[in-house]
Amino acid sequence: MANGLPDPPCGLLTADSARSLVDSVDAFLFDCDGVIWKGDKLIEGVSQTMELLRKLGKKLVFVTNNSRKSRRQYSKKFRSLGLEVTEDEIFTSSFAAAMFLKLNNFPPEKKVYVVGEDGILEELKLAGFECFGGPEDGKKNIKLEADFYFEHDKSVGAVVVGLDQYFNYYKMQYARICISENPGCLFIATNRDPSGHMTSGQEWPGAGTMVAAVSCSVQKEPIVVGKPSSFLMDFLLKSFNLETSRMCMVGDRLDTDILFGHNTGCKTLLVLSGCTALPELLDASNKIHPDLYTTSVYDLVGLLQN
Amino acid sequence: MAAAAVAPAAKLEDADALIDSVETFIFDCDGVIWKGDKLIDGVPETLDLLRSKGKRLVFVTNNSTKSRKQYGKKFETLGLNIDEEEIFASSFAAAAYLQSIDFPKDKKVYVIGEEGILKELELAGFQHLGGPTDGDKKIELKPGFYMEHDKDVGAVVVGFDRYFNYYKVQYGTLCIRENPGCLFIATNRDAVTHLTDAQEWAGGGSMVGAILGSTKQEPVVVGKPSTFMMDYLAKKFGITTSQICMVGDRLDTDILFGQNGGCKTLLVLSGVTSLQTLQSPDNSIQPDFYTNQISDFLTLKAATV
Repeated sequence: MANGLPDPPCGLLTADSARSLVDSVDAFLFDCDGVIWKGDKLIEGVSQTMELLRKLGKKLVFVTNNSRKSRRQYSKKFRSLGLEVTEDEIFTSSFAAAMFLKLNNFPPEKKVYVVGEDGILEELKLAGFECFGGPEDGKKNIKLEADFYFEHDKSVGAVVVGLDQYFNYYKMQYARICISENPGCLFIATNRDPSGHMTSGQEWPGAGTMVAAVSCSVQKEPIVVGKPSSFLMDFLLKSFNLETSRMCMVGDRLDTDILFGHNTGCKTLLVLSGCTALPELLDASNKIHPDLYTTSVYDLVGLLQN
Repeated sequence: MAAAAVAPAAKLEDADALIDSVETFIFDCDGVIWKGDKLIDGVPETLDLLRSKGKRLVFVTNNSTKSRKQYGKKFETLGLNIDEEEIFASSFAAAAYLQSIDFPKDKKVYVIGEEGILKELELAGFQHLGGPTDGDKKIELKPGFYMEHDKDVGAVVVGFDRYFNYYKVQYGTLCIRENPGCLFIATNRDAVTHLTDAQEWAGGGSMVGAILGSTKQEPVVVGKPSTFMMDYLAKKFGITTSQICMVGDRLDTDILFGQNGGCKTLLVLSGVTSLQTLQSPDNSIQPDFYTNQISDFLTLKAATV
């Protein structure tokens, strides 16, 4: 017992537990926002950590719920921050949405309406789907006249909702009308994070905002493809010859990253460099316990070199 | 032990008996009195009939886009003789709620909503920020972009908002998350609303849902089906709720409101709810009675022997 607080049911990362963790896993899955970077700023020590883990022969994979960019665009972001990460090593919730439709044989004659940004549009197009909406619809308004009729495309077979800084009433209504009136129209959410560090200086509303708005309006729950849903793990396992028991999920959010790790049978490491502070982890009301926790990924470097 | 089955709603046959059994009628507006800007037929004659029988009439709407005064004007334009004091919109409810908890006058209210809420807050003497003009404010999630917020905001009121945007979500979220004790008040949580006669539109429940999604906090709801407005007007008019008949077109707001308050309840099918929905096995909210529209009061008489 330290500081008068009971020992948490998860351990502080130490030299011993770090060594033990690294020896027991072949791959590290990293969340991005709050773990690798905050907004457009790399978190201190990340490059050294990645270099060390690669030297130790570990596979590094990046799993992010942030749907604003495609995998290709994220690869570019990594490169701009001095990190070499290929598209194939990145799994975004935007990619997950496109793969969900592919796996479920979404008919080519149907369209996808997007409440979200370019990342989702790009992944959908890459997967061969016809999509519209996105940032462009952020400029559309509804006419407030008594006989205004809101038209919508009856061939929309799926609405994908993700983080959208251009969110507005027009999009809310378009999504609502497709889901409620087009028979069999799917309601897919990239993720439900309430917030995230979209800029380094503060947290901003996450996809959870837009998803909740649409969900409340149609009174239906969406299919969630991002963390903590285990959907993305299936792709990871197909792409790399790995077992989940030999993986460690490293993230900053309990109800997405750590829960994803638990749902898929990985080991889990919570870092406090993002949206979760120690009091929240230790609070009695928190039921999600990572195997280990530490300040930031860079601690691995210090602890392993001891 | 199986749960007691809810008695199914009875089709209204003897309107006079219902009328004679209560002192007050509370009417919802959208789908009961009007649809969009069109009066539902037979409404003026029905209200006249009830007044001639000495019944008190009250109008309770979840629509927060107008103030009571503005609703008074709408009634007038449609040829109905209704006093402002008889109208209770959820915009009014938000201001009345703040008054009831002695919300300090040196604190401010951030509004995610339209004119009606701003007007009612002003009338009640509260300082407010936000509203429709924040609909023009843009966010660019670029490096270095930082949003400041007023630390004196002590309550965020969220209602139906056609000018909803990311700026407002962040502003409201910052206040709720970072200003100690900041309240999150919802005028209502209706999933859909009838902005126009012909279609259903995303309702105030969407905006409230968005803020709930970003803060993970449940709001205090002042509109139907919460009993806040029922308690308020029961106190104001000195009426017992068993002497009230709540008339509405929506099960999960109007009828639930009436039931939560201990009133008799009458569902009309002139709005958002169909007979099919009422009688569906998925529906667990059964009003005492149902009928097509309120003008049925004029025609439904007990069978004369």
